[in-house]
Amino acid sequence: MKAPPFAYARAESLDDALALLAEAGDEAKLLAGGQSLVPLLAYRVLRPTHLVDIDALTSLETHERTPEGLRLGALVRHEQLATMSVKGAERVLAEAAGHVGHLPIRTRGTIGGSLAHADPAAELPVALLALGATLHVRSTAATRDLGVEELLLGPYTTSLAADEAIVGVTVPEAACERRGAFAEFAVRSGDFALAAVAVVATVDGNEKRDVRIALGGVDATAIRASSAEALLERAELTDDAIAEASTAAATDCDPASDAGTSAPYRRALVARLVRDALTRIREEWA
Amino acid sequence: MSAAIGTSVARARDPLLLTGRGRYVADLDLPGQAWARVVRSPVAHATLRGVATEAALAIPGVLAVLTAADVPDVRIPIRLPFATTPEGLSVLQPVLARDVVRYVGEPAALVLAEDPWTAEDAAELVELDLDVLETAGDPVEAASSSTLVHERLGSNVVNTIPVRFGDVEAAFAAADVVVARRLELPRQTGAPLETRGLVAEPTDGGVTIHGAAKVKHFNRGVLAELLDLPPERVRLVEVDVGGGFGVRGELYPEDVLVPFAALRLGRPVKWVEDRAEHLVATNHARGQVHELEVAATADGRLLGLRGTAWVDQGAYIRTQGILPAILPGHHLPGPYVWEAFDLTAHAVLTHRTPVGTYRGPGMTEASFVRERLLDVLAAELDLDPVELRRRNLIPAERMPFVYDLGSESPPIAYESGDFAGGFEVLLESVGYDSARGEQARRRAAGEHVGLGLAATVEMGAIGPFEDAAVTMSDAGRAVVRVGVASLGQGVETVLAQIAADELGIEPDAVEVRHHDTDDVASGFGSFASRTTVVAGNAVALACRALVKRAREQGVVLAEVGEVTARFEKPHPSFSFGATFSLVSLDPETGRVVPERHVVLHDIGRAINPALVEGQLAGGAVQGVAGALLEELPYDETGQPLAVSLADYRLPTVLDAPPVEVVLVEHPVPGNPLGIKGAGEAGIVGAPAAVANAVADALPPGAEEPLALPLTPQRVHALARPAR
Repeated sequence: MKAPPFAYARAESLDDALALLAEAGDEAKLLAGGQSLVPLLAYRVLRPTHLVDIDALTSLETHERTPEGLRLGALVRHEQLATMSVKGAERVLAEAAGHVGHLPIRTRGTIGGSLAHADPAAELPVALLALGATLHVRSTAATRDLGVEELLLGPYTTSLAADEAIVGVTVPEAACERRGAFAEFAVRSGDFALAAVAVVATVDGNEKRDVRIALGGVDATAIRASSAEALLERAELTDDAIAEASTAAATDCDPASDAGTSAPYRRALVARLVRDALTRIREEWA
Repeated sequence: MSAAIGTSVARARDPLLLTGRGRYVADLDLPGQAWARVVRSPVAHATLRGVATEAALAIPGVLAVLTAADVPDVRIPIRLPFATTPEGLSVLQPVLARDVVRYVGEPAALVLAEDPWTAEDAAELVELDLDVLETAGDPVEAASSSTLVHERLGSNVVNTIPVRFGDVEAAFAAADVVVARRLELPRQTGAPLETRGLVAEPTDGGVTIHGAAKVKHFNRGVLAELLDLPPERVRLVEVDVGGGFGVRGELYPEDVLVPFAALRLGRPVKWVEDRAEHLVATNHARGQVHELEVAATADGRLLGLRGTAWVDQGAYIRTQGILPAILPGHHLPGPYVWEAFDLTAHAVLTHRTPVGTYRGPGMTEASFVRERLLDVLAAELDLDPVELRRRNLIPAERMPFVYDLGSESPPIAYESGDFAGGFEVLLESVGYDSARGEQARRRAAGEHVGLGLAATVEMGAIGPFEDAAVTMSDAGRAVVRVGVASLGQGVETVLAQIAADELGIEPDAVEVRHHDTDDVASGFGSFASRTTVVAGNAVALACRALVKRAREQGVVLAEVGEVTARFEKPHPSFSFGATFSLVSLDPETGRVVPERHVVLHDIGRAINPALVEGQLAGGAVQGVAGALLEELPYDETGQPLAVSLADYRLPTVLDAPPVEVVLVEHPVPGNPLGIKGAGEAGIVGAPAAVANAVADALPPGAEEPLALPLTPQRVHALARPAR
């Protein structure tokens, strides 16, 4: 449980980090909070040639309200998210962050790290997907924005180029009223979720516009439960509608079976969690 | 005289340990030390054609790579004579695999380097030339499989152990009701928070080994033999130990390899087991399948219990011999009156990590299968589980109570106690009737709530004896020497309390020395809930002898010099225990929440109530986790699936129920202090009580919980027929 050899550089600034990353080549990794990367190094599952440490770049640790929405730096810690003042549906992000590991993990782990690591069971990508967040990515050469769907390609696989870094995330300002709920099921407190659900519902006056349902831990990446979302389009959240959508969500995902956790069980959890989240949204709206 | 006994004296080292100033073996560094890294088999069964070391040796800082050819061709011996059989002796573990590897994690080579990083880098480059073979995994299948773990044995069944009492055929013939079930316990392990570790240092003509635990005097003798040194040249030293639970301190291959390497290099060698290694290298436990049937009369009188157990011993017989297969039969009758019982236990070899004892060995497994079966019987008889137990617990007037197992086996002899009375004390402490009322209210509101009980017997205070030496100084301070071990349980404090009362001084004026085989002449160590009983009485006898001698000689205590005494304990002690569990569960997710856990234990007399409660609460939490969380599964090729603490689900404080401890102090004959053990009592009944509570909580029509752990997915599956 000692990491394999690697070169280490501590970045002095974001530009410095991007330059170091560009120099280091294809097998370099950014080190932020280290809560996923360091265990993988200890188990020698990952063997990066270089680590570029950005953990001390405090400029990436801030959050602010902009006209576009809630802008979060890539190094915002899970515990910051879990305890920050949020409005409306943004609370799915705070609730999701509160489910990440344990307090020592949450005080170090970062939102950018969680996205870049692309663990299919990670909470924050699920919440950000439901919220329709925009991710801000930079390299020495270019800057681009992309959605969570465009980032996550598969388990632990993203569309980031070797020289690119996630520098921030914007949760868009809602045009109308939004409510959200996050729910997950894990065996122990702090364990990876066997299934996680984030729901964001929008209303315009009395009319419900749409419901976004994101699922985690039950497919190769965080995904949208599209058929469940379609069922709820402009529908009242009646018991029957909720039940139907919950059942549909369970078929929208393609969970793997592994030791002790079968695909049908994970689907059953999805149905339950979607039902719980929708029920909570309805009750709080009443 | 002061009265330290019976008071909750605080442990002297707690402030240090709690503020990170403990000194564990990983904290110990010696000048010039090298580091060892074990190269382990990545497969469960293979012919080992060769070990290529060149690439590893080419790394700067690598000092040596040892393979089987470099180390003595010795086997790790069995420590326990009564668990030693010729068949067991034929399948002992070499210190490095020879010709064949038999489980994932088996040591195959040892890398020695200047630092731990280099050692681990080099270990990856040691190439094992392996010809992969078929494996035997499930113990029931392995028992009749032609895929053999050890060819020379001709079978995977090392021994078959019958434990019989009475005429079991007659008991079943007389029965009105018979119920039969197959029950399973997964592999689990003690998983102390501190993994194993050693620092071995060559000395003038010998070796000093830091990091010993549990049974250091026995291990000194074995190591002297295996390393071909005079026993007085082998010194074992304990530093702080972060938990034992039965697995830490037994003699493992690394215990031979590390001092051997130190002698070979002529410099200190340090090895600290990492958690991934720990989960495949340190003893596993439990891992049993029981097919049992129970016979009773229509009015709920127990008649007979019989069946077969398959006990997974893993790939080699280790220091505890076939004890894991011997114990379940001895604990099968528990605290009840039976006409007859008969358990045939097969000690089965598999291509998995070898198995030893883990806190409450045999008794935890036997209690689970028996108590679960009793609840099945109670349901069959339409009788309250409490009432079934009441009708069959051994009444106080029948003490001492003996099950004679014939000439082959020592009897099961309960020396004292009030089992039936103790059970009532538990029910009263729980408020059982009101708990049933509350359950009915919550059920009516749609909740799934269950109550579970277990009545158990803890075997402890195992002999054969312990010696203690005591001296008193002019300054009124006493030094006690005794050959037991501190595993974090507070042994120094308890023994100081005993000496203090005997000598009329304060506990903090007593120094208890047990750490060093050069300082303490002999000892059997710390296991089987024996330390306080056997060593404590030896300390009391030594102190009394010291006082007596001073009186006889008409001198002060300090002038007497060192006085030694031996306390012999030819038979174990048995303590009654009872456990109550209250759980709620969600049939849709399978989540079980242990809401309340009450454990009663007959301690005889509590020397230090806080430490007794700590032992019971800690054991209870381990037992609840054993019921709900912990499992060491393997895939069909023999690969372990729990290789980190993300997979081996130890409970955190967030998963543990509040534990209420009820102590019964029933006088104990046969030892001067009138005490019984406490180390294992918390765990023994916990899996049984929790499983019974889950059974009670499941909706009507659900399947019975008969296999542990009751993970959410498993409970979800059990509940499915009811949905």
